[in-house]
Order: sequence, then C-alpha cells, then structure tokens
Amino acid sequence: MKLSEQDLQVKIDELPQEMSPERDLWTGIEKAIQNKTQESANRQGKNIIVPVAWAASVCLAVLMTWGSMTPTEDSMQTLSVASVLKEDFAQQRQTLLVSFGAPDISKLSPEMQAELNKLASARKSIEKALTDDPENADLLNLLRWTQQQELDFIEKLYSPQWQSI
Amino acid sequence: MDSSKVIAAETLFNVDNEKECIARAQRGDQEAFHTLYENYHRRVYALCWRMLADKDAAEDVCQEVFVQVWQKISYFRGESKFSTWLHSVATNIVLGHIRKHKTWIQRIFSIEEQTVQEVAVDMPEIPELDKQIMKLPERARLVFVLFAVEGYRHEEIAQMLNMAVGSSKAQYHRAKGLLRDWVEAES
Repeated sequence: MKLSEQDLQVKIDELPQEMSPERDLWTGIEKAIQNKTQESANRQGKNIIVPVAWAASVCLAVLMTWGSMTPTEDSMQTLSVASVLKEDFAQQRQTLLVSFGAPDISKLSPEMQAELNKLASARKSIEKALTDDPENADLLNLLRWTQQQELDFIEKLYSPQWQSI
Repeated sequence: MDSSKVIAAETLFNVDNEKECIARAQRGDQEAFHTLYENYHRRVYALCWRMLADKDAAEDVCQEVFVQVWQKISYFRGESKFSTWLHSVATNIVLGHIRKHKTWIQRIFSIEEQTVQEVAVDMPEIPELDKQIMKLPERARLVFVLFAVEGYRHEEIAQMLNMAVGSSKAQYHRAKGLLRDWVEAES
C-alpha cells in the first residue's frame, strides 16, 4: 500500500522536537567559554585604549580652540540645560556602576584608570567652559558626546565584550 | 513514568525567566547561560543530529553552537524569539561544519554522497522516520529537515544552501519520495 502524503505528514509531526545527547556536553562548553572569557578580557584592555584616547584628544582639541574664540556671558536658562545634563549624567553613571555591582574603580589597571581620568577631565573642562559660554549649542553637544563616551567606556570596562565569529 | 507527572519545560521556563536569563548571560553570567543551555540543548542537538546524521558530530557541533551563542548572545536584541535566533545560529554552524568537512573533490564537482544504508540500526529508541531521514543523501536530507521539520521556507533554504529555489523544492520532493518508499518497504 502506498504511503499517502497525509500519512507522511503525520509521521513528520510525530517526530520528537528534542533528543538527548549521550554524553555530557556542558563540561566542554563551560571550559571553552571560560577560556574565551579570559582571552576576551585580555584583548579588551588593548581594544579600549585607542578609541578612548581619540575621544579624549578630540574633546581637548575642540576645547582649546573654543577657549580662544568664545566671549563670556551668563544665561541662567542655558546654564540650567548644562546643569540638567550634568545631573542626568551623574545619575546614569551611578546607575550603570550599580548595575555592575558598584565596582571599585581604583582597582582598575593604571592604564584603564588613566583613560577614564582623561575622559572625566575632558568632561569637566567642557562643563567649565559652559559656565563661561552657557548658550553655546556646540559645547552642549560636545558635553553630551563626552558624557556618552565616558558611559560607553565604563560599560565596556565592566560588561563582557565578545568578538564576533 | 506517569506522563501526567511530566511538567513541560516551557511551563517552568517561562518567558520572564528566559528574558532574565538572557539579560544575565549577556552580562557574562555563566549560571544564567547554563539555564538557557539546559532548556534548549536537546532541541539544538536534535537539529544537529538530523542535519548531520552522525551522533558524534552532532554532539561536537552542539557544543560549538553553545560556545558561539555565548560569544554572540550580546547581539541578541529580542526582535525575534530566542529559540528562533538560537536555531538560526545553530543551522548556520551546522552548515559551516558540513562545508568544512567536505573533501576537495566534493567541493569542486558537487558530488553528492550516496544514501547511507547502515545507520541507526542499533538505535531502537529513534522513530522509524528519523532512521530513514538519516539514510537520505545529504542535500535531500538537509532540505527535508530544514523545510519539513524546522519550518524554513524554500527561499531561505536556497539561500542557506547556495542553491536555486527550484532545486530546494526538487530535493524536498526527492526526499519525500525516498522516505515514502522506504517507510512502505519497512511496513
């Protein structure tokens, strides 16, 4: 008797979705991912320094140029924008650090600490420049960008980054 | 075992738990990743086993899938179901494994393996249809598993296997024909 299309479909539908391997696969997987984690951590330090150094250099260059060109005048309204940005950033940074278990930054390697300090220093310089020229939209954008760089850097430092295969 | 006492893994491992496990695994939590492994490795293994028709290779590739998923899980954005994403990663890794293990003659001349006759004889727990699937020629088996079992469309399969859509359909009909003949012969 010829097996009908419907009978074949029934047999296909009855196929188990799951099968159990005979040996324990997790032990090998665990070893492999621990090795990969270690390799990734070693590479991470090297990969982060270059972009952060670039970011800090760009900030400083823009600031130096700006410092020689900008007039000084006060505006409470835009100063408050800078203040809001500053407060938002402080909150985001704190939340981010808490999400990674409030790590002790002083335990970072000296290289990482130096990079983080460069970014923080650039951010503070922009904040200072904004007190002299609070209406400046470019400076406000630069502050946002620098803050984001700092947050990204912290995230890269404490969350695992995996190379794509 | 009383089947009424068997609790479906899906029930225990609900969507919220899964999301939490994924988020934790993305932050590097191996325990959370182990939970995901426990929930999904049998399905991934079944996929590997059917596509490769080789128990040992399926176990090795299944391990490779989870190692790569650990490395790539940060790229999972939740736009599709995790199981869909996982199966897609697994399918690509299996196909990569098959490509890597082809001989240079097979690569150059696209020589198809003959049907395998002596497989699964000592595996009484395997359904009869699965035993027949293992005997299919490689391309017909891959198309059949991806289309009929995994639910991919012929367009997707054609892209994955680097063949025309018509060839995918033809291979599927060929597989069905062979399977119907073999199942009839067995009964």
